[in-house]
Amino acid sequence: MEYIIHLIILFGIYGILALSLDLIVGFTGLLSLSHAAFYGIGAYAVAVLSTTYGMNFFVAALIGMSVAAVVALMIGFVLRKFKDDYYALASFGFNVIAVSIFLNWESITKGPLGIPGIKRPELFGFVFSTNTLYMILTLALFALTALFVWHITKSSFGRVLRAIREDEKALEVFGYRITRYKLAIYVISGALAALAGALYASYITYVDPSTFTANESIVILSMIILGGLASLRGAIVGAAILIALPEALRFVGLPMDVAAQLRQVIYGLILALLMLYRPKGMYGEYEMK
Amino acid sequence: MGIIPQIIANSIIAGAIYALVALGFNLIYRATNFFNLAHGAVSVVGGYIVFGLYRLLGLPLWIAIICGVLGSGVVGYVLEKILFLPLRKRKSSQMVLIVASLGAFTIIQAVIAIIFSSQFQTLFDSSMETKLYQIGGGIITQVQLIILIAALLIMGTLAWVKERTMFGKMVSAISDDAVVARIVGINTNKLIGRVFFIGSAIAGFAGIMIGFDTGLEPTMGMSLLMKGVIAAIVGGVGNIYGGVLGAFLLGFAENFGVWQVSGEWKDAIAFAILILFLIFRPKGILGKK
Repeated sequence: MEYIIHLIILFGIYGILALSLDLIVGFTGLLSLSHAAFYGIGAYAVAVLSTTYGMNFFVAALIGMSVAAVVALMIGFVLRKFKDDYYALASFGFNVIAVSIFLNWESITKGPLGIPGIKRPELFGFVFSTNTLYMILTLALFALTALFVWHITKSSFGRVLRAIREDEKALEVFGYRITRYKLAIYVISGALAALAGALYASYITYVDPSTFTANESIVILSMIILGGLASLRGAIVGAAILIALPEALRFVGLPMDVAAQLRQVIYGLILALLMLYRPKGMYGEYEMK
Repeated sequence: MGIIPQIIANSIIAGAIYALVALGFNLIYRATNFFNLAHGAVSVVGGYIVFGLYRLLGLPLWIAIICGVLGSGVVGYVLEKILFLPLRKRKSSQMVLIVASLGAFTIIQAVIAIIFSSQFQTLFDSSMETKLYQIGGGIITQVQLIILIAALLIMGTLAWVKERTMFGKMVSAISDDAVVARIVGINTNKLIGRVFFIGSAIAGFAGIMIGFDTGLEPTMGMSLLMKGVIAAIVGGVGNIYGGVLGAFLLGFAENFGVWQVSGEWKDAIAFAILILFLIFRPKGILGKK
């Protein structure tokens, strides 16, 4: 039972990551490979603020989200001119730089050793100490995120994003300030990824830079591509499958490191085979053009 | 002995290796117009084939190196035939091709890690005598000297092929206009297959050289690829001379940067350069060819 709860918590965290990445990749049509950087910012914010300063989880998470938003604003400003391959590459570059900072800013992040002993969240004296309680908290925040993302995609703001994806030039002719929309969605998405990071840090109670590499960005990308871009159902189902599928490998009895690598093989196969046979994914609304 | 000549020597060696990766990448980009992210993993394949044949099975070194180079070439060729060619035939977008190549990259990297473990390995063994050469105040090893000479030979040969042979001219024709090339009777797909083989073989050679110089790790493909891509973009994407120029520039910037800050920041420096170029001179130094 503990194990199922563990999987559900992971699903909630990755669900938030997948939904927020879909806002950029699926709805706006920009191939971002920087999501793990914001995930990491949220995780490190909670790790540092709650261990060194004893700050409350929820306050720390909000600060982490704000930091991620500010960083996203700056990175998004640089990325605003790029499209397709250059966008993918430059955003990837920011992820690499972020990991370098996690690794090297040792006075704050403790470098490769990471930060242990992160506390579980506490709200008005109530501590989310057991995993069951933590699962409820994670699922609640996941549901809030889903609702929020759903609201965005149904709003006029969401329609503009989709229009950017389909025909940026035409939209510009109608007088829309495209850069502002792109920046706004990048900031929102980054802040949501930071929320997932906060949940992760407080659940595992330990963070280190290796969790937030560009590989992780690729994993999240695989989730939304499998589920189908620009589909909330797709993002959620994709996250669920990619959390559950590799777990099946655990029961085959492979050594740990082989299982971890096989998991990578699965992610890679999913990406390559989907591109060959079904670029739309499971429930995709938008086929990458 | 001053430190500056040594840094210059190191920069040139790094530049030569990056140049080989960039050469292969640029060749493939010229013919197909997409960012082949699998290129980095293909490069690592070469190094590990040599590791397997030479260090584990004890075959003569020259046989192992030939097999390594050809092996990388074959992997690149097979990827083109089973993955990229079908996608191009379907007129898939750049995004689809990038994601597919990302999938291929992930698979190859994980398979290498499963076969050879994720541990750090070196091709260099104690039986090779380490001769040191002193050139203008900097010390370089025999291996590094061989890397440098081989890299220059490959660059020269490639330049000759490009300018003087029918093959080179046909590839240029494809990169200018694939449709017209086909109309005048060039078998574009056959040619692109060969380009993949040659480009991948050169990358494989680079992987082998790194195995001798610093050592092998399954995950080094991504950083290697990124150095190659950054060199290519800094010099001018698709421009093979630009790629070489960019590679040496990158080698110098990294090594001097590391001297000023610290070794851990190497990748971040490389990406900072990339992002600066993308913002201020996206066409690179020599422009796109």
